[in-house]
Amino acid sequence: MHPTPVHPTPAVRLDHVSKRYPAADDTYAVHDVALDIAQGEFFSLLGPSGCGKTTLLRMIGGFTDPTEGSVLLDGQDVTGLPPNKRNVNTVFQSYALFDHLSLADNVAFGLKRKGVPRAEIRERVTGMLDLVQLGHLAGRKPATLSGGQRQRVALARALVNRPQVLLLDEPLAALDLKLRRHMQVELKQIQREVGITFVFVTHDQDEALTMSDRIAVMNDGHVEQCGTPEDVYERPSSSFTASFMGTSNLVPGTYRSGRVVLDAGPELPVGNRPALTDGSRVNLSIRPEKIWLSDLEPDMARVGGVVRETVYCGPTTTYLIELAPGVTVSVLEQNTVRSRMEDRWSGGEQVEIGWKPEHCLVLH
Amino acid sequence: MADTKARGPRLWTWLLLPGTLWMTGFLVASLLLVATLALGTTDPLGNPRFGFNPDNLTALADPAYRTVLLRSLGYALITCLICLAVAYPVAYAIALRGGRFKNLLIAAIVVPFFANYLVRMYGWSVVLSDDGPLLRFLRAIGVADDGTKILQTGAGVIAGLVYGFVVFMIIPLYAAMERMDTSLIEAGRDLYGGPLRTFLYVTVPATRQGAAAGCVLVFLPAMGDFVSAQLMGGPDQIMIGNLIQDKFFQGQNWPLGSALTMLLMAVLFLGMLGYLRRTRKDEAEAAR
Amino acid sequence: MNNGNTASTTGARNTATTTDAPSTAHAPSTAHAPGTPGAPRKQRRRRRAAERRPRFAIAVTALFFALLYLPVGVVVLFSFNSQKSLTVFEDVSLRWYTAFLHDDVILDSLGMSLRVSLVAMAGSLVLGVALALGLVRSRSRLGSFAGLVMLVPLITPEIVTGVAAMLLFKGLGITLSTTTVMLAEITFSISYVTVILRSRIAALNPEVEEAAMDLGATRRQALRLVTLPALLPSILASAVLIFALVFDDFVLAYFTTGVDPQPLSVRIYSAIRFGVQPTINAVGTLMLAGSVGLIVLALAIPRLFGRRGGLDLLSGK
Repeated sequence: MHPTPVHPTPAVRLDHVSKRYPAADDTYAVHDVALDIAQGEFFSLLGPSGCGKTTLLRMIGGFTDPTEGSVLLDGQDVTGLPPNKRNVNTVFQSYALFDHLSLADNVAFGLKRKGVPRAEIRERVTGMLDLVQLGHLAGRKPATLSGGQRQRVALARALVNRPQVLLLDEPLAALDLKLRRHMQVELKQIQREVGITFVFVTHDQDEALTMSDRIAVMNDGHVEQCGTPEDVYERPSSSFTASFMGTSNLVPGTYRSGRVVLDAGPELPVGNRPALTDGSRVNLSIRPEKIWLSDLEPDMARVGGVVRETVYCGPTTTYLIELAPGVTVSVLEQNTVRSRMEDRWSGGEQVEIGWKPEHCLVLH
Repeated sequence: MADTKARGPRLWTWLLLPGTLWMTGFLVASLLLVATLALGTTDPLGNPRFGFNPDNLTALADPAYRTVLLRSLGYALITCLICLAVAYPVAYAIALRGGRFKNLLIAAIVVPFFANYLVRMYGWSVVLSDDGPLLRFLRAIGVADDGTKILQTGAGVIAGLVYGFVVFMIIPLYAAMERMDTSLIEAGRDLYGGPLRTFLYVTVPATRQGAAAGCVLVFLPAMGDFVSAQLMGGPDQIMIGNLIQDKFFQGQNWPLGSALTMLLMAVLFLGMLGYLRRTRKDEAEAAR
Repeated sequence: MNNGNTASTTGARNTATTTDAPSTAHAPSTAHAPGTPGAPRKQRRRRRAAERRPRFAIAVTALFFALLYLPVGVVVLFSFNSQKSLTVFEDVSLRWYTAFLHDDVILDSLGMSLRVSLVAMAGSLVLGVALALGLVRSRSRLGSFAGLVMLVPLITPEIVTGVAAMLLFKGLGITLSTTTVMLAEITFSISYVTVILRSRIAALNPEVEEAAMDLGATRRQALRLVTLPALLPSILASAVLIFALVFDDFVLAYFTTGVDPQPLSVRIYSAIRFGVQPTINAVGTLMLAGSVGLIVLALAIPRLFGRRGGLDLLSGK
């Protein structure tokens, strides 16, 4: 779990942290998480609600203390320090702007606390408001702004302090889809520009995939998998990651010396070599877009099935194919292959589908 | 998820301290003092003496006191009923038909309530007086004759209590009706037909909690009031508040006054208990 | 309310009526309901009217407003009467106002009431705001105790608190005076401040305070720089409210005041009981005007800060 960092000391090191609430039946909100986040990295904590990602972020920010383990910022143990003694800043989900202060005063808040000289404050605040394209609104109160503008103020208010690490708690969740797409690009640009480490919490896998250098997929208080977007998408290490990151077909079977015998019948080659004993129950994971419906190549794994449903979605068509009673896989095909309706498969037809062995993973 | 850190809350506890100490020192201590003195006696000069003496408690059994207590209870209950009868239509009309004047109308009810209680009661007693505008109007339309009186009667005292505290009934009822889904009333029209039946079967149950809160808010001050009985009533209309006032100011029997105060508290405590049990039951039913 | 909708469903239910009197049927009859008793025509028409406008409720409301303002109107009107009579209005005159301005006893009382109100307002604000913050934020056992103690004045009739306060002062050997009134009024007002502010504090976004700490503020600085400014409209509104409540309070003042000076409402009480002088009308009118001004101010404060209406301030009680 500790990949070789680019920079000698990681910006953030979570050293086997856990958070337990004694009141709630001794369940763990976060359980034994060990992560290194490199300097200048755009790092995402991704997972469904309640998976512990926000708790983890609050531990880095100093709003929650871990019950076990320690938090290190730039090599220094900060466990137990209050938020105001840590050189990290947070963009809150609700933005948490100070409604009684103007935009400029909101942004200047942190610098004033630090005792930065007045002239420098003015200069840095102006620069930061310009960076987020709100320079012309400096005198306004937050209540008069739109959601996207408020989001930018929150970002500017945090970034102006030049923190070691910027924590972002689902900052785009309150925006509509179009604005969210726009802000994703803008956030990424700003991050590159300022070169600060971003730790980004989200439940939106598209957002994590498009913006992050690395992603930690979280489930039920622990990290399921940590790696580059390509890693976690193409090579999920667990059934949870495979199904949380986009859609994946999970076909039940039994492991036997590097191959899998599907419950549906055929024995198939797979792309990875997990440390499993023969006879283990496993899931075979194949992404819908990696399954071929025609022009199968000789080295492909092949399975027969019956088309049960054809769903046309504009650029793509999704077929639901039943391999055996109760075992159905979905197959996604670009509509360039069969562009006209009469060429598409229809319900009840017998088909043979296939995939390249390296696209098919055994998951425990 | 919104957990605050274990450190820090000490500040919040420190903030609690001055207010709690103040309230304990003045209020709780003083109420305990009343309870203690209720068992005391007076020396020959009339000065209060602490001690354990059940005389005051047995004195409460005196039929004269029982009459006053029952009268106070009766007045306060009738006041509650009249307030309900007045507040329901008023709250209903404002909440459902007030339109954009809703807030203005409610403010128009609340504002005079904040005017000085005595000045309002005094004005009300002028209105209700024998040659005041109300009786003159009633005589003119033939409803009342020359002998009809409002002041110096129980009706006058109750009129004073209603005028004094009706706003406490209107506000919670209005809030309950605001929360009520108006489509309920439309559905009620379909189910029950007439507006009266719709009101009884739909509006009243939906606003029961507001009405209960209003009853408590009216009953408490009405039971303890002594101004209305003084300004609107005569010697035969005195309430328990007047007895207490008398024992502390004219009669100079503080232990007996304290005992009467405790009696008043006991009655109100029983009433509150009933109200709390009722709301608990309602909440339990709502949760189911 | 959608009248058309109501009418059509009512019509559907009363198909029997529709067949009885086809000429009056405006509503489409969609289903035949056997077993439904046919409503007579008259009743049906009356119901239509009731749907448009609950006449009874509106009539009661009109009467209520008339009776609510009549006593106030009488006081104001007769304060300008040139005669002493409370039944016959002779001529417009400022006679009673002039009398008031030359009545040193009443002016002393006015001064005392103002001083008591100011002190009680300041004292109960400081204690009440701190108590409300602690009640919402602290999870200590002291918090649950404070929550109970705070409720006591709200569920105790004033006469009881008045008697109790008087006994306490006498028991401690303190002579009743302006100071004792102030102490009693502070005690009584803390609960109101706390009740009003408690819901406001609970409604605050906890992330705002966290954001201040995140930006380098200590918990205390966050409280001063962020939380209190956010609460300022509610604090000001409750300040005005407390001022008005204390200024008009009679019962508590009556039990805790000394002989001279006496608060204005106690003066009014004696005047009403022992022979009415029309000066009371003038004083009453001025007090009414003052209270109305204060209450309107309290209701308007949240609006001045760009928040929505202040009425919930009152109904929150």
